Amino acid sequence: MTLAERTDVEPGVAPSTHPARRRGSRTARPWLLLAPALLVMGGLLLYPLFRVLVLSLQDFGLRELVSGRTHWVGLGNYAELLGSADLWTTVLPNTVVFAVVAVALTVVFGTIVALLLARLTPVVRGVVTTAIMVAWAMPAVTGTYVWVFAFAPGDGVAVQALDALGLVDAATADPFAGRLSFYAVAALNVVHHGFPFVALTVLAGLLTIPRELTEASIVDGAGPWRRFRSLTFPMLRPVFAVVTVLSTIWDFKVFTQIYLMPGGDGVNRGVLTLGTWSYVESFAQNRYGLGAAIAVLLTALLLVVTVAYLRLLFREEEL
Amino acid sequence: MRAAGKGLGVAGVLGFTLFPVYLMVVTALNGEANAGSRTLWPADWTLKNFAYVVGEGGFGRYLSNSLLVALGTVLAGALLALLAAVAVSRFRFRFRTSVLVMVLIIQMVPVEALVIPLFIQARTLQMLDTLVGLAVVYLAFSLPFAIWTLRGFVAAVPVELEEAAYLDGASWGRMFRSVLLPLVAPGLVATSVFSFIVAWNEFIFALTFMSDDQNYTVAVGLRRFFGQHATDWGAVMAASTLITIPVMVFFVLAQKRLTDGLVAGAVKG
Repeated sequence: MTLAERTDVEPGVAPSTHPARRRGSRTARPWLLLAPALLVMGGLLLYPLFRVLVLSLQDFGLRELVSGRTHWVGLGNYAELLGSADLWTTVLPNTVVFAVVAVALTVVFGTIVALLLARLTPVVRGVVTTAIMVAWAMPAVTGTYVWVFAFAPGDGVAVQALDALGLVDAATADPFAGRLSFYAVAALNVVHHGFPFVALTVLAGLLTIPRELTEASIVDGAGPWRRFRSLTFPMLRPVFAVVTVLSTIWDFKVFTQIYLMPGGDGVNRGVLTLGTWSYVESFAQNRYGLGAAIAVLLTALLLVVTVAYLRLLFREEEL
Repeated sequence: MRAAGKGLGVAGVLGFTLFPVYLMVVTALNGEANAGSRTLWPADWTLKNFAYVVGEGGFGRYLSNSLLVALGTVLAGALLALLAAVAVSRFRFRFRTSVLVMVLIIQMVPVEALVIPLFIQARTLQMLDTLVGLAVVYLAFSLPFAIWTLRGFVAAVPVELEEAAYLDGASWGRMFRSVLLPLVAPGLVATSVFSFIVAWNEFIFALTFMSDDQNYTVAVGLRRFFGQHATDWGAVMAASTLITIPVMVFFVLAQKRLTDGLVAGAVKG
C-alpha cells in the first residue's frame, strides 16, 4: 500500500527507472522466486474468497459442517439478506455512516495535527511524534478495552468527567446502550488509532513543499486558511486522496473495535455492522451460508472503494 | 499569542494520544482496581495485578503462545516476501503487473470474509486449535504488505552493484547472499516489525480457531478476566499493558524507519 507515498514523499525512489534486465529473459527464475508466496496467498486468501462466494449460495449449518454434505439454495441467502429490515434500517446505515464519519474525523484531525507538527521546533516535534507513535502502537484489542473501561456506565472516568461537566448523569448513563453514544465511543477509539497514519503521512508531504512558496504567499498577504486552501491542499492533493481512501477501506472493515464493546458481539442488535453481523450469524447462529452472503456484500462494497484507490495509484506511478 | 496557541495544541495532542495508555498503566498499578476503584491517581500503588495475571491468571502461557506464532510468522514471512520482492523488482516477465495488482487488491479483502471459509477449511484439515494453523494464516495476511514494501527496498539497490558482483564471477545465488541481502536488511527489519505486529495483535482468527484455553494467544486470553457480572479491571489492564509494551517499544525504536518506510504503509489493525 505504499506506492503512492513513495512518489509523493520519497521522490528519490523510483523503482521503474531501471532498464529491462538482460537476465529477465530467463523466464523461470522469477516464477520460482514467487512460487512460495503465491502458493500461500492463493491458498489462504484467494481460494477462501472463492469459497465464501460458493458458501453464500448454500444453506450451510452445523449439519453440513459435520457431514460435509452440500445443500444448494441458489440466491436464497441473498434474498433473505436483502429482504431483511435489519439490513436497511440498522446494519447498512451503521456501517456506512460510521465509516464516513470516522474517516472525516480521522483525516481532519490528522491534518490539523500535521499542520501543528510542521510548525514546531525539532525537539518538540520529536516529543509529539513519539506520543503519536504510542497511540498508533496501541493494539486494537487493548485500546478498545481501555475506552470501554473509561466509559463504563456509572463509574468510568470519562463518564464521571462528563457528569462533572453536567453533560450526563453518571447514575443512569450507559454509553453502550444507545446507538449514537455507542458509535461515538467507537469513533473516538477508531480516530485515536487511525489519525497517526494520516498525521505522519501529511506531515511528510508538508515537508516537501518548498519554503519559498509559503514565504511568497505570506508576502502576498495570504492568511493561514487561504494558504491552506490555495497552496497546501492543491499541492498535497494526492497525499490526501491516498490517506482518505485507505482510511475508508480500514474503517469499513473495523471489526475488533466494535465486537469487543459491550453489546457489540451481537447481544445489542441495534449496533451490528456488516462485519459483526456476518460473524455473529456464522459463529453464534451457525448459519454460515447467510454469514457468507453478508461477507460477500461487505467485500463488494470494499471492492468499489478499492477500485477507486487503484485508479488513483495508477495515475501516480507506473508499477 | 501564537506561541500560546501552539502550546495549547501540543498539550491537547499529547493528552489525547497518551490518555488511554496512561489510564491502562495506572489502572494496572492500582491495588484497588478490582475492588471498583476508578481513578487517574491510585491511592494504593502495587504490582500485584501483574503478579496475579502472569501467575494464577495463566497469562505467561498466552504470552509464549503469541510469541511463538509471531516468530513463526516473521521468519517465514521475511523469507517468502524477500524472494517475491526480488522477483517483481528485478525481473520483467509476463503477468508481472497482474501479480502486483493482485498483491495490492488482496490487502483490501476484509478478514470477516476469510474467517468463515478458513474456519471450515482448517476444521477439515484438523488445523483448528493449533498454533501452526494460526501462524500460517497470519503469514498469508502479512505477505502482501511485506512484498509491497520490500519491493521498494530491493528496487532502490543500484543494479550496477549486482553487475559488479557478476563481473567478479559471482553466481546469482552468491550475489543474492553477499550483495542484495545486506543492502535490503533495513527493509527486512521494517517488514518484520510489521509482520510481528499483525500476528501479535490479531484477534478474530485467534478467537475463532482456538477453543482450548491452553492455546489462546494474548488477544483472546484477555477475555478470561472478564467475568459474567463483574470484570477484574486491574487484571485486564495489567494483561493489556503486557500486550501493549512490546508493540510500543517496537514502534518507538523503529520510529524513524517506520515513518519513512511504513507511514507509507498500513500498520493498522
